[in-house]
Amino acid sequence: MKMGTARNGSEDVVIKASLISKYFPGVIALDNVDFEVRKGETHALVGENGAGKSTLMKILYREYSEDAGSLYIDGKNAKGMGIPQVRNLGLSLIHQDLNLVPIFTVAHNVCMGLEPVNKLGFIDWKELKQKAAPYLREISSDIDLDAKVEELSTSQQQLVTVARALVAHPRFLILDEPTARLDQKSTEVLFDFLDRCKKKGITIIYISHRLEEIYRICDRITVLRDGEKILTVPVQELTQTELVKQMVGRELKQQVPKEESSIGEVVLSVRNLNPVAKAKDISFDLRSGEILGIVGSIGAGKSEVARAIFGADRKKSGVIRMQGEELKIRDPRDAIDAGIALVPEERRKQGLVTTESIRKNMTLASLRKKFCAGGFWIKQRKEKEAVEKSIKDFRLATPSAEQEARLLSGGTQQKVVIGKWLLSDSKIYMFDEPTKGIDVGGKHDIYKMIVDLAKEGAGVIFISNELDEVLAFCDRTLVIFDGRLVKEVINKDTTKDELLFYVMGGKDNESKNG
Amino acid sequence: MSQKTDNWNKFIANYGLLLAFLLAIIVFSLWSENFLRWGNVQNILIQTTSLGVCAFGLTLIMMMGEIDLSYAGLTGMIGAVMLKMIVAGYSPVSVVLVCLIIGMASGLCIAILVVGLGMSSFMVTLAAWFIYMGLERYIGHGVTHWIYKYDENILQIVQGHAGPLPVPIIIMLGLFLLCWLFQTRTRTGQYILALGENLEAVKEVGLKTKLLKGGTFVAGGLIFGLTGLIETLRIGGSMVYSGRFLLIYALGAVFLGSAAFKAGKYNFPGTLLGALFFYTIINGLTLNMVKFYYIPLVQGLFLILAVAITTVKRGEIEQVQF
Repeated sequence: MKMGTARNGSEDVVIKASLISKYFPGVIALDNVDFEVRKGETHALVGENGAGKSTLMKILYREYSEDAGSLYIDGKNAKGMGIPQVRNLGLSLIHQDLNLVPIFTVAHNVCMGLEPVNKLGFIDWKELKQKAAPYLREISSDIDLDAKVEELSTSQQQLVTVARALVAHPRFLILDEPTARLDQKSTEVLFDFLDRCKKKGITIIYISHRLEEIYRICDRITVLRDGEKILTVPVQELTQTELVKQMVGRELKQQVPKEESSIGEVVLSVRNLNPVAKAKDISFDLRSGEILGIVGSIGAGKSEVARAIFGADRKKSGVIRMQGEELKIRDPRDAIDAGIALVPEERRKQGLVTTESIRKNMTLASLRKKFCAGGFWIKQRKEKEAVEKSIKDFRLATPSAEQEARLLSGGTQQKVVIGKWLLSDSKIYMFDEPTKGIDVGGKHDIYKMIVDLAKEGAGVIFISNELDEVLAFCDRTLVIFDGRLVKEVINKDTTKDELLFYVMGGKDNESKNG
Repeated sequence: MSQKTDNWNKFIANYGLLLAFLLAIIVFSLWSENFLRWGNVQNILIQTTSLGVCAFGLTLIMMMGEIDLSYAGLTGMIGAVMLKMIVAGYSPVSVVLVCLIIGMASGLCIAILVVGLGMSSFMVTLAAWFIYMGLERYIGHGVTHWIYKYDENILQIVQGHAGPLPVPIIIMLGLFLLCWLFQTRTRTGQYILALGENLEAVKEVGLKTKLLKGGTFVAGGLIFGLTGLIETLRIGGSMVYSGRFLLIYALGAVFLGSAAFKAGKYNFPGTLLGALFFYTIINGLTLNMVKFYYIPLVQGLFLILAVAITTVKRGEIEQVQF
């Protein structure tokens, strides 16, 4: 190594960030953070939402520059460097967001920025494909190189971003919550791949909210909390409960609050629902006070069911009855009027007006019903009181009700979206992946909000990709596989293994040992 | 069955505009026997030149998710500058060079304001349009001048022939080929498209997005400079605010074009077709003595039709994504 002399000490520190601080308007994102990564290790970076993980990674990748402190990558001072320079040093970042060009092919996205050209300066598409193939095959064998990225599932798109990171022949790989968008199968694929990377001596920084992943692949852990570094230790020196305690700063008794609720009459009955995309012939009943889980791998058609009931997508056919009465739902307004609420999956896209205040976001769905005099003038005081109360009830981390939604952390944003629907006093609530990408403490708050709703007699549909949480606090669970409702289980009579078996497409008459 | 309707929808979305164009040609040629005469076809092509060239520049900029309306004023200002130079006896070569340099300088100023300072491209270029109109008045004193009185040679740029083809047509088709090959075949061209689709994706792989964006504004400016040159020569003089009509036509051609070939996406073949369509309608209606004030009405209707096609198409695409 040429740069060996530039390093000091016997420790093989390849990334050394010292006393890094970063300020955003009104927020200290990072406060004098020290962060060291050793050569060849897999280093977990954990912390609650808003702890500063992503900010630190963006500083490493030079998307942001630090306001104070110093950063050395491979012995070189990174001050003044940009993304191209750190990429040349062998640093690659796999983003949480799928930063791909949807209308380009998979091969083109993988080789973006390094397209081979012929003598005329034109892109050599054939060679481009050949060049992309080995990198893509490294991570997936069933993605078509010629397919447009927009035709792929979210899981597949995430795998494409991994392949793209490989093209730069990284010696340091940063992964920012890579499994948040992956289904079970793709997650296994990713871990196999990371194992191979480790064997090759690639240094990995791994950001995740999933404890089992961290313990499975990481060597050391750094915990951030509220923009400060709490500790860095080898994984085996910290138990899972201790880790969570360090992240949250307060003790969590139980991950999921499970409470017995009294289940009443059928409030919603869905018969032969055919959404316009994916799902087919879905029929089920929902009772008041019940939390009904819907599980299935990514792309199985879970969200489509909820969106069709809510009127967010058109439906081809199907009957929806509420307390025995047939509903004609053509758009979300009909659904809201009937007392149905949907907390969507892509909260920034579908559930939040990011440039408006918490107050305006929270009362958006209930404005017409509850806070308007004569259906026109907004009753401002009543609105304000209700929002202030919600902020207290839901423990929203915000300076005031007037804070713009875009300035909130992901978890707080999700709470605002949920809070919005709670104010609407609906009879049926549908939650689509409400805890995705949210830290442990935030999840706990959201579970509690949902359990409280059920206790008050609402019917709740809870769509999730995480079997653990569905098992822990739903009463009953529907499994959707490839667009069809394949299994209904009572949660207290089932196990995670059984649920996973159906999620992965297992059938009753086949052996469950395979 | 639904597969069949799907394919049919796709076909209409991609080739609907082409079919409509052919239909218009058939209708006009039945309506007036002069319509398909070579002389008239040449007329349409020559008239389309400045619009086509301008719309190519606009396509490039709209492709990367920005807008540039400055051409509406730049064209007239360049006309005024050209007349000043021609009257003063400058050579055609120097006149052409100055036009192109003005265009690039304009693009560079816009790039600095939009890319460098992060201002809205719509507002900046709207302002630029007005500034150029003011400058045109200042330079030309609002008087219409005719070129032939001072210099016949320079008019050959648009009046000359290369073989059977008039030079303007060659300029337009040449520029089309250049833009098309550049955008679809070169890395830079593909990055410009990617900028409009997902800026972050371009940034993340370490490409210099600001340089790319700025460069595209300058390239657009260069093409708008060429537009000013051709339009002034085509008219044969400097007419007050001569670029104004281009504003809506060029935007219309680009929009109309996005309804063709790659439904919902800006593309150069579509833009060329859009520009030709506009002048075909004008020409066909004029030949048949339709009162001139109905022409914008018909064009407006076509534009709404084109937007309708792309909107339906986009709706379809979004449905699939959820």
